[in-house]
Amino acid sequence: MMLGYIGRRAYHSIISLVGLLTLVFFLTRLTGDPSALYLPLDSSLEAREAFARLNGLDQPIYVQFLQYLQNLLSLDFGQSLRRNRSAIDVALEAFPATLKLAFVAMALATTLAITVGALAAARPRSIFDRVAGLVSLAGASTPDFWIAIVGILVLAVGLGVLPTSGTGTGWHWIMPIAVLMLRPFGLLVQVVRGTMISALASPYIKTAHAKGMKRHKIIFGHALRNSLLPVITVAGDLATGLINGAVVVETIFGWPGIGKLMIDSIIQRDFAVVQSTILVTAIAIFIVNIAIDLLYVMLDPRIRY
Amino acid sequence: MTINSFRIIASAMVVAGFASHATAQNMSEINIVLPEQPANLEPCGTIITNVGQILSRNVVEPLTVIDPKSGQATPGLATEWTQTDPNTWQLKLRDGVKFQDGAAFNAEAVKFSIERMTGGKVNCSNIAKFGAAKLTVEAVDDLTVEIKSDTPQPILPTLLSVVMVVSPNTPADKAVNDPVGTGPFKLANFTPQTVVLEGFDGYWGKKPDITKATYVWRPESSIRAAMVETGEADLTPSIAIQDATNPETDFAYLNSETTALRIDAGFAPLDDVRIRKALNLAIDWEGLAQLFGDDTKRASQMVVVGINGHDDKLAPWTFDAEQARALIAEAKAAGVPVETEIELIGRNGIYPNGTEAMEAMMAMWQDVGLNVKLTMLDVNDWLRYLQKPFPEGRGPNLLQMMHDNNKGDAAFTIPIFYTSEGSYSTISDPALDKEIAEAMAATGEDRTNGFKAIFNKVHDELALDIPMFHMIGYTRVGTRLDWKPDITTNSEIPLANIGLKS
Repeated sequence: MMLGYIGRRAYHSIISLVGLLTLVFFLTRLTGDPSALYLPLDSSLEAREAFARLNGLDQPIYVQFLQYLQNLLSLDFGQSLRRNRSAIDVALEAFPATLKLAFVAMALATTLAITVGALAAARPRSIFDRVAGLVSLAGASTPDFWIAIVGILVLAVGLGVLPTSGTGTGWHWIMPIAVLMLRPFGLLVQVVRGTMISALASPYIKTAHAKGMKRHKIIFGHALRNSLLPVITVAGDLATGLINGAVVVETIFGWPGIGKLMIDSIIQRDFAVVQSTILVTAIAIFIVNIAIDLLYVMLDPRIRY
Repeated sequence: MTINSFRIIASAMVVAGFASHATAQNMSEINIVLPEQPANLEPCGTIITNVGQILSRNVVEPLTVIDPKSGQATPGLATEWTQTDPNTWQLKLRDGVKFQDGAAFNAEAVKFSIERMTGGKVNCSNIAKFGAAKLTVEAVDDLTVEIKSDTPQPILPTLLSVVMVVSPNTPADKAVNDPVGTGPFKLANFTPQTVVLEGFDGYWGKKPDITKATYVWRPESSIRAAMVETGEADLTPSIAIQDATNPETDFAYLNSETTALRIDAGFAPLDDVRIRKALNLAIDWEGLAQLFGDDTKRASQMVVVGINGHDDKLAPWTFDAEQARALIAEAKAAGVPVETEIELIGRNGIYPNGTEAMEAMMAMWQDVGLNVKLTMLDVNDWLRYLQKPFPEGRGPNLLQMMHDNNKGDAAFTIPIFYTSEGSYSTISDPALDKEIAEAMAATGEDRTNGFKAIFNKVHDELALDIPMFHMIGYTRVGTRLDWKPDITTNSEIPLANIGLKS
């Protein structure tokens, strides 16, 4: 049953993927001629024509598209104009960096948000609830580039306790993850608190209280489990956003991820890399969505596919 | 898991993974943080800023080197050159030079490098400096080459400063990311995070103080400045003016870029020289300079001091709103449609405070009675207006631009801007075309004077553009380095020129 569902989803996703790649192929070509950006501004017409010829850009667009499709069938995703390498290699090299960052940030943000949100909902209008509300609202609404730069100025330049940017040691992970998890944490605390307050007002919770069940068991064992579906939906959406690339964090902290690669490639009209990064992230998003669907089933036995 | 075992694991993590970020570094090893990641390390792309800053005169070396003060070609891998006829130059090559892979540097290697550059099989930015010229190279003997061009090339030695000589073992038909040259450093590593160069023991010249250079990249100027301040990096070029706050480490330098507005003289009212002069006179240049910093220099022409053809005596336009109004009134009386809307086309992010500068200039022009309206475009859209063929249906317009000429000669500027065929040119003036052709074919003093005369004519007589400022770059240099940036810093940072303070 479940395998059949995954098969159907995969089939539909492949159709979507082909449509997406077709759309991306034509949309990227609308951005203009790569030679205008690759060659110096004062290049001669002859140099531009030679560049187009060398890279197959002198062919009609439908010929380029047919060639692209033909190459796709043999898993040839094209060469990066800028990087002198296979475009899919460039995308696959950048993706794990983003994935690791997104995974750690989301895992921490979700765990913390569930704990804080549940405790805040357990005592509405308490000091803890008010502080949690304030912090989560600030986290969800503060621009991440501002937090990142202030963090660098305070922690790296002022106190010298963390490196400004880059990768390498565990210390390099702290600021990017802290900045990246702030917004998901803020949003998820709000969602958890809201759904938990509704759940805690449910008749089955009153029954549990009446039966003399311990408070933490009621909160974390009963109410929380029933509140998690909307949380998973929002968390999945946020995770998808991070997988697409944490562009600001990657740019400021010099993190070599796929988000910055994608933006740079769009700006530089490196078409093959744009297509490859979109392909890689689309497949990852498809997998995340399947995982979320499976989680629904685990959390709510009433759900069947 | 007991508390004790948890503590042991946590301690191990701290020791293994979270080793201090302040890693020990050999004194002769430096870190350089660039604004942008080099997309590739193809030696034929060294005119691209971030490629040139890493490779040029570090890994690969050119045949000639432009002197930053005089703008003249000086010996590089070629030690002497003579022009045997207008189309032919003969070069003597440096003896005793080896490539980093052990191959011998000789005439055949030079022939290979030039043919690789001109062969059309490798995406090559550097070849653009040669325009449409067709070059043929012959090895006369082991250390002599003859270069012929299908058109006269009076400044071939200057152009040869972009010819990076690569090992004959380099693939001739595809771009590379592992360049091998004759420079004092060889490429040790190139990853999405870093480029590492290490000293080449077989280098022909003086051994540099630096033994290893690691390049990283961060787009944010404030982050780069902070990296030098905290000691994570030793040098960063191109920081923003607001980050250049430490007089001990931050150096301002004239960086060969000139900001200007191009006047599209093909449309009324901009086809009238009185209106073009009024545009220059209506600007409060002193006020505008506040947006560009104290160190910028007012421009009267599109090349900076040190470029052959720059005329020191050519004075910039001064602010005279009354004269501007009088010229506009005179043009109006003569039937020029001065009320026609003029589109001022700016480019987002072209330089710091670029949008603010356009807004201020628009207000000043409106103040003298011109109907100017600002449109800010992103680079892709803006490029359509910069280069021919220009967009159909455009009207009278002024285009914000910044021109960079650090190649020693006004030949890299004048033909593009002012000939009928020039890719940026909006005018067609046969008399000016002739003057430019004569100057381009001349050598020595005649060439210099010819270019100066053209800049004077373009400024005083034709008022074809609105030169704004010669721009200043800011570089932060760590306290342990003995080095100062100059006009070439935007295109190369030769590590051999960097000293270490004891």
